[in-house]
Amino acid sequence: MTNYYPQRALTLLRLGTGDPEAVFREGQEEAIRHVYEGRGRLLIVQKTGWGKSFVYFIATKMLRETGMGPALLISPLLSLMRNQIAAAARMGVQAQTINSDNETEWETVEAAIHRNEVDILLISPERLANIRFQNKVLAGISGRISLLVIDEAHCISDWGHDFRPHYRMIERILRTLPRNLRLLATTATANNRVTEDLKDVLGPNLLASRGDLNRPSLALQTIRLPGQAERLAWLAEQVPSLPGHGIIYTLTVRDAIQVAEWLKSCRIAVQHYTSESEDREELEQALLRNQVKALVATTALGMGFDKPDLAFVIHYQSPGSVVAYYQQVGRAGRALPAAYGILLSGSEESEIIDYFIESAFPTREEVLSVLEALERSSDGLSIPDLMGQVNLSMGRIEKTLLLLSLESPAPVVKQGSKWQLTAARLNESFWQRAERLTRLRYHEKKQMQDYIKLEFGHMGYLIQALDGDLTHLTPPPLPILPRTVNPLFIQKAIDFLRRTNLPIEPRKKWPAGGLRRYGLKGPIPLELQAEPGRALSVYGDAGWGGMVYQGKYKLHRFPDELVTACIRMLEEWNPDPAPAWVTCIPSLRHPDLVPDFARRLAAALALPFQPVLIKDEERPEQKQMANSVQQARNIDGALGLANQIVPSTSVLLVDDMVDSRWTMTVAAWLLRSHGSGRVFPLALSLAGKG
Amino acid sequence: MSLSSNTKAILLLTSPLQVGRTTPQYEILTQGEYKRLAQFLQREGLQPADLLSEGAQSTLQKAKEIVDPIRLQSLLGRGFQLSQAVEHWQARAIWVVSRADAEYPRRIKSRLKDNAPAIFYGCGSRMLLDSGGLAVVGSRHVDETLIHYTENIGRLAAQSSVTIISGGARGIDQAAMRGALENGGRVIGVLADSLELAALNRENRNFLLDDQLVLLSPYDPSAGFHVGTAMARNKLIYAFSDAALVVNSDLHKGGTWAGATEQLEKLHLAPVYVRDGEKASPGLSALRQKGALIWPEPQTKEELQDLLTMQQTPESRLAEPAEVAISVHEEAGEEYHPANQGITVLRLKSLGQGKEDGAGYRLILGKMSGSALPRTAAEIAAELGLPAKEAKKCLEQLVRENLLRKKGRPAKYFPAEQEFSF
Repeated sequence: MTNYYPQRALTLLRLGTGDPEAVFREGQEEAIRHVYEGRGRLLIVQKTGWGKSFVYFIATKMLRETGMGPALLISPLLSLMRNQIAAAARMGVQAQTINSDNETEWETVEAAIHRNEVDILLISPERLANIRFQNKVLAGISGRISLLVIDEAHCISDWGHDFRPHYRMIERILRTLPRNLRLLATTATANNRVTEDLKDVLGPNLLASRGDLNRPSLALQTIRLPGQAERLAWLAEQVPSLPGHGIIYTLTVRDAIQVAEWLKSCRIAVQHYTSESEDREELEQALLRNQVKALVATTALGMGFDKPDLAFVIHYQSPGSVVAYYQQVGRAGRALPAAYGILLSGSEESEIIDYFIESAFPTREEVLSVLEALERSSDGLSIPDLMGQVNLSMGRIEKTLLLLSLESPAPVVKQGSKWQLTAARLNESFWQRAERLTRLRYHEKKQMQDYIKLEFGHMGYLIQALDGDLTHLTPPPLPILPRTVNPLFIQKAIDFLRRTNLPIEPRKKWPAGGLRRYGLKGPIPLELQAEPGRALSVYGDAGWGGMVYQGKYKLHRFPDELVTACIRMLEEWNPDPAPAWVTCIPSLRHPDLVPDFARRLAAALALPFQPVLIKDEERPEQKQMANSVQQARNIDGALGLANQIVPSTSVLLVDDMVDSRWTMTVAAWLLRSHGSGRVFPLALSLAGKG
Repeated sequence: MSLSSNTKAILLLTSPLQVGRTTPQYEILTQGEYKRLAQFLQREGLQPADLLSEGAQSTLQKAKEIVDPIRLQSLLGRGFQLSQAVEHWQARAIWVVSRADAEYPRRIKSRLKDNAPAIFYGCGSRMLLDSGGLAVVGSRHVDETLIHYTENIGRLAAQSSVTIISGGARGIDQAAMRGALENGGRVIGVLADSLELAALNRENRNFLLDDQLVLLSPYDPSAGFHVGTAMARNKLIYAFSDAALVVNSDLHKGGTWAGATEQLEKLHLAPVYVRDGEKASPGLSALRQKGALIWPEPQTKEELQDLLTMQQTPESRLAEPAEVAISVHEEAGEEYHPANQGITVLRLKSLGQGKEDGAGYRLILGKMSGSALPRTAAEIAAELGLPAKEAKKCLEQLVRENLLRKKGRPAKYFPAEQEFSF
């Protein structure tokens, strides 16, 4: 092992930062040397911006210069590593990544890896678990990996509040690694409990330098506004007068889009940013360059995004834990004297958080049904196979299999495209852990609820919850913002919510396994598909969704306001060719509810109403069917035509709820194959999660 | 499954750590190379885990006559690959034990000594591994009559609570295993290849889960079939058993022939029986000539159990010297562990008589029985109240007699059976 040369490390730092006068921060050089010399495992706990990436890039470069193999970095936040990769290149460190965003580059990167041209490979934990990646890429280099870097190491600990299932696998890998393999773990978040857990996994030799948790530049405030319309109104009123540029966080993708659309309609320059956004890099740049007032984002805009002059972080809904909140709000005011951290709390967040908590682990029944289905098969089942045999959504099936496969020993394993049982049973410890973690998350939810109730002392509460030191606590640097909202803005928000209507995408192929009773399978011919449709609301939302709920379950009649709202929606929608008649989806359970509404709507449009569709048999409610294959089966053979003569002009197909869209799809197919013109679905509400 | 540092080091040195087909080949240590390296480490008072520590460089240099240090360095640098391989095995319920682990099958260690495989991979309960039992071997291509015959042997063994040990190959092996498993019996399958496939095989699953079946192999779980490894594996089948039955064999060729003759001519790990009767083949007759016994066709469970008890391991067969050992141990106030005595018991008998300092020998051997910890001459002298010089003299004599070994500086003494601790 060649000796450590401090001069070389400094040169690399100066090349990487582009600053010929740069010097190491406290602890950085010791860390580099520790890693380079292989003195044992190292944990660095420092906030974003301290320069953790310089430690591993410089250590990698120096190890590579002695002829050692490449380094491997595992992080869940790859898309935010772009700046770091650029800095690495300046130092002559070839950093490459293989992730879902750069699939077109994979072949080039893989070839470079095999030619030993890559100095450090950056991948996500999911990628590490991917069989194709293991076989095609990792197998060739795993014997030569000289350094393993685990980013966001707090995820390893149950108390790390960041429940990424793949970190269980990473924990096992760390325990198996022989002590001669260089290992560096980094995180910005580690309270005492987390640090203890990490010591248990990584060994006692830790360099854990923790920055001060107090943020003197942050002015924290909580405002409870149960209704969505109130919070939208508050944002529209306050955001334009806040200095600088910031982030508005929401819990779901749908909320991020809706809040952004609302603020745009108020002429505030924002964009939404979610895991589904295609142009994330441009959006980040727009905020960095102050070209937008704010990004309305989910947690996809996460750790690693560093805008030193971020002037505010506003939460539209409360996150589920103090750690998550501290991380998110902590992005504001890094290089500013003062910044706002405002938490708006609403009534829907509790249900959303509960949903995240409860859906984190499968239930015993779900696990049993999956294991039993696998037991019945002779050589394993693929996920589509399982969807046909088990009444669970695809997401639940995938989550169940993922969590089971991450146990050790695992009761299931994937061979090729099929899942099989192994010669190991599921240990009861799986359930004990699930219960423990679920209780922990409810405790954290309560911690946040207590935080929201505070009138003052917010920073102290957060620091205490994170085992921080209160001695350097400072008072907030800014005056509080108003808690009340202008009623005019509230009305405007309600109108906005009532105006937004949601698309219903037509299905293009029949479900896996086909619909046997109708004799249908494969792709749906274009001329038999439904046209794109519209829904008036999301079921239960603050726009019309609440009234739909009232109509369906309390009044047993949909109020006339909904007729008017649909007319307005049709005017905006303007389906072409314009529908010449109206029909609706029949129900044996509520025979009058929808037809009565459709008749009134037709009358208001001066169009004939012809209930040509009939329900041949009673079936369980679609909402009980957990996945789309089950829902399709549930409608198979259930719908028919009252008589075979159907008008040949285009038609409005009305229903109260749309979920999987199979009912609409089958109805449209029936109408079209008996000669109708184009079919335009219209629903009062979209059901299902956002 | 948590691995000791010793096991990690041994895996790095001796295991291909194969995951998928694209893992590049590394020059792993052969059985012979590992044996020599292990002996070197013992002489230096080191363990395999020490090769992972910071001072490893100088150790590797010292060992350069045995293995090229660069080759060792490259093998030891495969830490990440090791973690990937272990993860892959664990996901399929495959465990790993090395000679350094307490769970390593004791029979194999004591009977094969430093020719015991450094690593076993396996699936199923390890508790079956020390049960002893009846090994059943034979060729792959046999007719229905012999299959039925062998299945019946398996069934009888199951009914007699005798474990069947076999190689998992088609034909005779699987017939014996099937016959036992389907009748509630227990089976040890020593596989020459494809452990991973066998661990995932539907047909094995329930037996593995219910602790009726344990599968193991000294070869990488994803390794395919090679004639050489199949042959090398055969002695393990005999080593697990108390007696072996060769149902049929070719003459002068084939794995069954090679394994049986190796036992009869060299290893003598277990008495070898051959099937007699109308279908006796030239191969079986030739084995008879080499000393194989005729299978007496036991029909009842008593007959089978008697057959096997008679053939208990040579060590535990010796009642007489055991009495001497008892008296020695009573003097020293320790418990008697027949399984640990082995050859010590025989030699003890000869040593104890006719020597003036026989008492000293007996005391020392009593102290150093079974799993005694290594101790220096001074420690032993102090514990037994013997003059230091006398203790040292006895100890050196016992080392010359191969009853004890010593290692390290200052020299520590320990029983010969315990020598190969890794």
